[in-house]
Amino acid sequence: MSGDKNVAFELEIPANAKYISLARLFAGSIARRMNFSEDSVDDLKIAVSEMCTNAVVHTGNGTAEKPPINIRFIMGEESLTVEVQDRGPGFDPRCVLESPPSELLEKGFGIPLIRSLVDVFECQSSPGGGTKVTITKFLPGRERG
Amino acid sequence: MVDNEVREGSELDIALEHVGDHSIVVLSGEVDVYSAPKLRDTIKNLVEEGRYRIVVDLEDVAFLDSTGLGVLVGGLKRVKHHQGDLGIICNQERILRIFRITGLTKVFTIYSSREDLLASIKGA
Repeated sequence: MSGDKNVAFELEIPANAKYISLARLFAGSIARRMNFSEDSVDDLKIAVSEMCTNAVVHTGNGTAEKPPINIRFIMGEESLTVEVQDRGPGFDPRCVLESPPSELLEKGFGIPLIRSLVDVFECQSSPGGGTKVTITKFLPGRERG
Repeated sequence: MVDNEVREGSELDIALEHVGDHSIVVLSGEVDVYSAPKLRDTIKNLVEEGRYRIVVDLEDVAFLDSTGLGVLVGGLKRVKHHQGDLGIICNQERILRIFRITGLTKVFTIYSSREDLLASIKGA
């Protein structure tokens, strides 16, 4: 399946934690079929899981309505890109932690973990406008295109 | 490849064993935001029962993310409050590197195997 050019799949999951494992399973299956190494498959599964966790946790926070989460997988010739879009309240992306918390906290590991496992991390969000997080991981030896 | 796909998507099973004053929490499956509350409750219950020496066995864990790490850190803080300790058993590189990336290898006592833990308990 490697060699396909920008084939995209889209998955919509309810904003409910129990469906995150399905997004992870999907990510792992696509990555394996693109011939990523098992370590990279694990990296992508963790990154997608963290992205979906943030989306589910922030979507419908404090409200009855929870719009679904959209996950888009774009299989490039040299990389896999995953976009996770929620319709939650959004936030100021400047508040995102760059590195793990320095004191012993129970939260704050997610974004630093994603950053360290993928090659490209982007976060677009604005208060009231939902959040879209995009990651890209390159196949080995393709980082420079 | 098939083995890995079969293991994925499994839920979290938790078994408890007591060795002396140590409680071993044996996990099997995946620890994420959906399953982690089960682990949090298990650790909380142990602490409420006065068990402050806890070791979480991660050898059969197929997946662990930041929510799982957070629960372990929360458990460590609980037992430290009672001068206890919370360690992990793990020899899986895929799991250990998550602890390394987040700097948590310096925080948890890490045993490479059940035998390593038992030898440590025996030698204490």
